[in-house]
Amino acid sequence: MSGLADPVKVLMHRHRELCERAVDPLEIAAGLEAHGVTDRTAARFRHRDVFSLAEEMYARVPRDAETPAGTAAPAPVRARADWALLALLPGALCTAAVAGLHLTHGQQRPIAAAVGALAVALGLRAALARGPLGLKDHIRSGSRATGLWTCWLAAYALLGDGLLRAALAGGPDRLPTGASDGPWPLAAAPVLALTLSCAPAAWCAHLFAGRARRKLTASRSLEDFTASATPLLLGTFALYLCSLTALSALCGTVLDEPAGHAQAIALGALLFLARLLTLHGFTRAPALVLAATATAQATALATVFAARLPGWDLLITPVKTVVGMGGPAGVPTATCGAAALVLLVHATRRLTRASAHTPTDQPW
Amino acid sequence: MDNRPSRHRPVRIPSSRCEPPGQRRLLIREIGGAFVRIGLLTEGGYPYVSGEARLWCDRLVRGLGQHEFDIYALSRSERQEDEGWVPLPPQVRRVRTAPLWTAEDDGGGRGRAARRRFAECYGELAAVLCTAGPYGGSGPPLELWAGTADPLATEADRFRSALYGLAELARDEGGLVGALRSEAAVNALERACRAPGTLRAAREARVPQLLAVAAHLERALRPLSLDWYGDDGLGSVDLCHAASGGPAALTGLLAHHFLGVPLLVTEYGVQLRTHYLAAAESSPAVRALLAAFHGRLATEIYDRAALITPGNAHARRWQERCGADRAKLRTVYPGMDASHFTEVGESPRSADPDTLVWVGRVEPAKDLVSLLHAFADVRKEEPKTRLRIVGAPAGPEGTAYLGHCKALAAQLFPDEADGLHEVGDNPVSFMEIGGPEVPTLADAYATGAVTVLSSVVEGFPISLVEAMFCGRGTVSTDVGAVVEVIGGTGLVVPPRNPRALAEACLALLRDPERRERLGAAARARALELFAVEQNTAAFHGIYLEIVSHSPVRRVVLDATGEPLPFAAPAEAHVPGRWTEPAARAVTGGIPGWATAEPPFRTADPVPAAEGAR
Repeated sequence: MSGLADPVKVLMHRHRELCERAVDPLEIAAGLEAHGVTDRTAARFRHRDVFSLAEEMYARVPRDAETPAGTAAPAPVRARADWALLALLPGALCTAAVAGLHLTHGQQRPIAAAVGALAVALGLRAALARGPLGLKDHIRSGSRATGLWTCWLAAYALLGDGLLRAALAGGPDRLPTGASDGPWPLAAAPVLALTLSCAPAAWCAHLFAGRARRKLTASRSLEDFTASATPLLLGTFALYLCSLTALSALCGTVLDEPAGHAQAIALGALLFLARLLTLHGFTRAPALVLAATATAQATALATVFAARLPGWDLLITPVKTVVGMGGPAGVPTATCGAAALVLLVHATRRLTRASAHTPTDQPW
Repeated sequence: MDNRPSRHRPVRIPSSRCEPPGQRRLLIREIGGAFVRIGLLTEGGYPYVSGEARLWCDRLVRGLGQHEFDIYALSRSERQEDEGWVPLPPQVRRVRTAPLWTAEDDGGGRGRAARRRFAECYGELAAVLCTAGPYGGSGPPLELWAGTADPLATEADRFRSALYGLAELARDEGGLVGALRSEAAVNALERACRAPGTLRAAREARVPQLLAVAAHLERALRPLSLDWYGDDGLGSVDLCHAASGGPAALTGLLAHHFLGVPLLVTEYGVQLRTHYLAAAESSPAVRALLAAFHGRLATEIYDRAALITPGNAHARRWQERCGADRAKLRTVYPGMDASHFTEVGESPRSADPDTLVWVGRVEPAKDLVSLLHAFADVRKEEPKTRLRIVGAPAGPEGTAYLGHCKALAAQLFPDEADGLHEVGDNPVSFMEIGGPEVPTLADAYATGAVTVLSSVVEGFPISLVEAMFCGRGTVSTDVGAVVEVIGGTGLVVPPRNPRALAEACLALLRDPERRERLGAAARARALELFAVEQNTAAFHGIYLEIVSHSPVRRVVLDATGEPLPFAAPAEAHVPGRWTEPAARAVTGGIPGWATAEPPFRTADPVPAAEGAR
């Protein structure tokens, strides 16, 4: 040390990186101590303690005015093969179940229907457990009620129209047989289209999350981000709707069920938006809207039956009006469509905020 | 005058996890017996099996059986919670736990008025963090502020009012997690960073950095959302003892603010320093803002604490640097159980006079390479010397380092035998505790005449203290708290200097008498400073000291459960410090009960950091 005119400069050179990135003297002091510098060492640099040595070093570091290089873009989350397979699972199971329904007759049919429904439910559960549609641990607890309402909505899509039609005609006289041409027919096409659309939904959610994260790093201010995230959200939503429309048309053609496009699309839009909101931590609004939708559908059915009581026949008027305008599918289409619209407005306000995209796995 | 704080309304609240069954007992309180109910605040420590510093807390709780402990534990991970607790002694009255690693959106702060209050308080907090502060980058150094304390005090006041404003809001709303994660928080941070006169680093914060800061603040402020600050929670204890800084101390700070419970902070490692080292990877803006937050929080904690007990001079220096009042600082060294080492310590002649011992966890910071080179120098002078390296590697890095050291040892020292017909072995042997040659830790020290410590980085050198308990001559490098621990009872050389290390080892190897003398002195010093008893006695004294200066604020009940009139003396209501600190030790400031029955010698002022000077 004695041969050098400026021992601190040597020390600074040795801890160059530490000095350059330090935001205050204490950070240099902490770093120096971690490298074994003690007060006795500091005394050799004619300082009382490490703190005053660190202060000198901090003051002497040349600080150029230019900003440090921007943060590196986050590594994109790769779409993995197991996600893709899982996302395809519900669709495949549902296809199998529908095929089973068509191939079985008589007594076997209800059994096939029950097995199929169970398999599809389990498949959906698996598909929604991980991957882009999977929830983080801290959100999961709030989403149980949401699952229940979703089940109701799906069940209505499957059986509701038939029940409503039968009820308006004075029925139903017996339980559904599983055939699509009985007095209480099963509408398999919308449900099949919805389960098949799990794959595009997962892909859209993945796309949205990835793009949003990239925009996050690129934007200078929160306003910037909101401005760029709104078209992204609407684009993703439109993409999903397109794929769902295509799938619905395909299923209708294959199963020979021409009706029910609008209903499937409205329900799909509602469920997709609800999932997207839940994924980003907004659990309250989706749960509320789903519950309201399910309640509205249940009320519509209930009023039809209640109107059979003497003196209550006025109750049937609203349902009759809707059915008169759009057939039995008008009820779910109207309820789900309105709910989806509400959630879309909510999502454009919530999901375009930066705080919805806080990375959870990033080191500080 | 009977203002014993022992007659509380008996409160039992159904805690999610209560004391272990079968370990309950009724407390028999004797009149005149000093009895303090201590709220022990821990974070990621006692009573969890995998907790940090659990041994220390366990010894403290067990050592002070005449007091009652309520443990308020913050857990650090799900794994830690699953691993369960250590067995608790009966003086632990109840345990309340809360997870710090997860927080659910509690829906607090949704109303209009609450949102406005939150935006105000959080905005103020953000503004203070973005202003150059006492340790802030572009602010003038601390000395310049000393004369004109005004700007500094104003900043501290603003931080304080913002913090307590948020705390009160959290208490009124039943939680703040949702609000702290909301866009309003990020917005407030952005506004503060873009305001004129902010730190240079803060001005460069972009959206990801703002989000990172907001997320970190949410995590750091989780103690605000706890439901512990009621009369049935921390309000029922006489004093809060935070076993570490950071979140645990923040809990105590809030209890002090809401309920007037005095706070004692013990820090063996300084949280602020840990934050600086942990945050090395993030961007400058994040580091600057978080450093400002943790610095100001530490200052506020030290300011409000009744007493602060650093575990060594190093922690003490950091605390002083963060604004802790010297009058409040009492260095209390960690206590270690000396009983295992008694046998070895009492028989110094059992050691092999030609063996050097190194004990510890094998990792690069221990600089075993330098030790091996030093040993090569020793062997040139004293060819009969052997070296034992006892310890397990720490982590994958440590394993790699151990392999490297073994290779180096094999290279430097060929195997050798006494004669032509014997099997040779290496003079350097690597062992682990629990193996056939070293069944216990004490045996590791017992075999060697001299214990060597070659670290380049060290906190509180536990292996050195153990060697002192064993009465061994020691040679250590001058790092961390080594000089403070060893005092004058061992040889100290500069780090990264094998030559000096070898010289010192040779000096001790050649002079058994000096070795023995130093060893005896080291053992005496260790028994006086680092034994469990001194630690327990010091804390006992500190508890009584704090309680004797803290007025009883709650209703004191008599034997029949009726409120006792005049239970608290009138002077207890005089605000502020109404006796001079110097005068109160001499006059009858301390009530008789506080000194009535000291279980140990009541704390002599613990020798503070003399070893370092």
